[in-house]
Amino acid sequence: MSEASLVGLFAATVSFGALLYLAALGELFSEKVGILNLGVEGMMAVGAVTGFMAAMETGNPWVALVVAIVAGALVAMVHGLFTVVLGAEQVVSGLSLTILGIGLAAYLGKGYVGRPPGAELVPVDWGPLSEIRWLGPVLFRQSPIVYLAVLVGVASWFVLNRTRVGLALRAAGESASTTDVAGHSVVALRLSGVAIGGGLAGASGAYLTLSVTPQWAEGLTAGRGWIAVALVIFGAWRPGRVAVGALLFGGTLALKTRLQTFGVEFSPILLSMLPYLLTIGVLVVISIRVRNRPSPAPAALGTAYRREER
Amino acid sequence: MRRPVLVRRDEALRGGQPLAFAIGLAAALFIGVLLLLGAGHDPATVYQRMFEASLGNPDAWSVTLNRAVPLGLAGLAVAIAGSMGLWNIGAEGQILAGAMMAAWVARVGDGWPGPIIIVAMLAAGAVGGGLLAAGPALARSSIGVNEIITTLMLNEVALRLVQWLIHGPWKDPDSFNFPLAPMLPDQARLPVLFGRAHAGVILAGLVIAVFGLAVSRSVWGYELRVAGSSEATARYAGISLSRKIFTVLVLSGAVAGFAGAIELSGTADRITETISNGFGFAGIIVAALALMRPGGVAAVALLFGAVQIGGQSIQTLGVSSSVSTILQAFILFGAIGAGVFSQYRIRLVPGRRSVLEESVG
Repeated sequence: MSEASLVGLFAATVSFGALLYLAALGELFSEKVGILNLGVEGMMAVGAVTGFMAAMETGNPWVALVVAIVAGALVAMVHGLFTVVLGAEQVVSGLSLTILGIGLAAYLGKGYVGRPPGAELVPVDWGPLSEIRWLGPVLFRQSPIVYLAVLVGVASWFVLNRTRVGLALRAAGESASTTDVAGHSVVALRLSGVAIGGGLAGASGAYLTLSVTPQWAEGLTAGRGWIAVALVIFGAWRPGRVAVGALLFGGTLALKTRLQTFGVEFSPILLSMLPYLLTIGVLVVISIRVRNRPSPAPAALGTAYRREER
Repeated sequence: MRRPVLVRRDEALRGGQPLAFAIGLAAALFIGVLLLLGAGHDPATVYQRMFEASLGNPDAWSVTLNRAVPLGLAGLAVAIAGSMGLWNIGAEGQILAGAMMAAWVARVGDGWPGPIIIVAMLAAGAVGGGLLAAGPALARSSIGVNEIITTLMLNEVALRLVQWLIHGPWKDPDSFNFPLAPMLPDQARLPVLFGRAHAGVILAGLVIAVFGLAVSRSVWGYELRVAGSSEATARYAGISLSRKIFTVLVLSGAVAGFAGAIELSGTADRITETISNGFGFAGIIVAALALMRPGGVAAVALLFGAVQIGGQSIQTLGVSSSVSTILQAFILFGAIGAGVFSQYRIRLVPGRRSVLEESVG
């Protein structure tokens, strides 16, 4: 096992970790306001394709990233309209959103399959830091989106736990009627959470087509949206713990293609089951502990709020 | 200032759900016209082809019926759990598990006479789906682990199990190193009824009818629905909740697994990782549109099957299959929206800023 291959593994772990982290933070916001959104896979696909298209048309990767974020948020608003405004069943609407997003991405991206990218987000050069042995290539030669993911993670923690807006957002997911009585608009708060969720899923998708595999193909998201859903639970709805989970699950994605080079005789396919099995394990542990302490899940998660039925 | 609010109707609109489906379909077809025009196709030609290929003649019907089988059974699986207020999001994986078990029986039973091998495959399919659901069922019934997420996660696990089998232990030595399982032996194929329709159509119809009656007419089904509507009432009536949750989820998985075995034996040549083909997720939609009533599942599955088969057929006109995917999504959203309005109506009330003012003022 050479140093170069280990460094490659860790660098890929950070990169995949950031990809998952962005989408998971989005789902975290959505669930914090009480809305379970199982449409992450679809929103990622839309972000991936619109980002790629915008890069082709404008040649500017940053514009492309913004377009992907806006597109992700817009698609998420479909879920918002049905679950927040109309109070429809969140599981059904979310799964429909996945189908819609995947179909929409395929429709929009038809003329872009296999074409070379119009622009890429190239790794940031941190000067001497990038030259440090081990740490340089792992931490300081990553795509700007990786650093963005770290920033968003810290900001999420701060906003949710240290600001009034964050308190209101969380309240909408814990007890909507109390929030309503306190004079906040539950609809506005919940829609914001869902929109932030879509925007971050869009950014995660754009990371794929602007940095990781700078190309568009149907099925590019490859089930990573489901890992993002899993991560929120794995991280017990806390941005910091979700980050740890993202690195762990990102590591399994990175290791998958490298098992053979390390001479490990274990099926990479079986390895890729790990994130899902770990998440089930964590859920079981949470449920056993819930007997003694409150569940980390937002109390109103998955429930509609209609003032008239309070 | 007046603002609109949703007010629950005293009684849900009669015929509201079929109406909701029709509105969803109409909305989807309208959006489809825009998508088709945007891609430079003539909507009338495309829609005519969709109809002819799915419902235009007996052959078309046979293909649509075949498609309605996994959709209906997956829908039934979700509806069984749903009538008790549980969510089985894992039908996709349970279909794969059922197909895996059935494929295993076909491997070890190579050379057995036709009827025996088919019956064994179908039974094994149900066992496979039930086994995959047993974990989430046990976790939910004993310590209250949310079944939405556990069943969802196991989809991905089952998918990778199939991938592993066809890349490894089950790889056909004659497949020129492609990750393909060997073809099923002929005696493991379900008999054909007419056109392309296979015997699975009858089996699925029977299973849906039996469960439909069991849920709506039997004591077992009554207890199920009571437990679904109120935990407290169920406890008071002496219904054992945890046992009920366990059996219902396992049964739900078994029905999905049965669908996997039928797909393998009826329409597929061999087990592949795409054999579940999104049926498990579509089944959730089917069940939701049927309001979790097993009886309504068959009709919705047939309509959905027609949309899917019609959607596939227009690819020969050069229309991207994504159009049909988007159509399906809009049928769902249209129907979800219309479903809400069959139970609620919009009323304009004087606009006020908060509830507090509302109750005080």
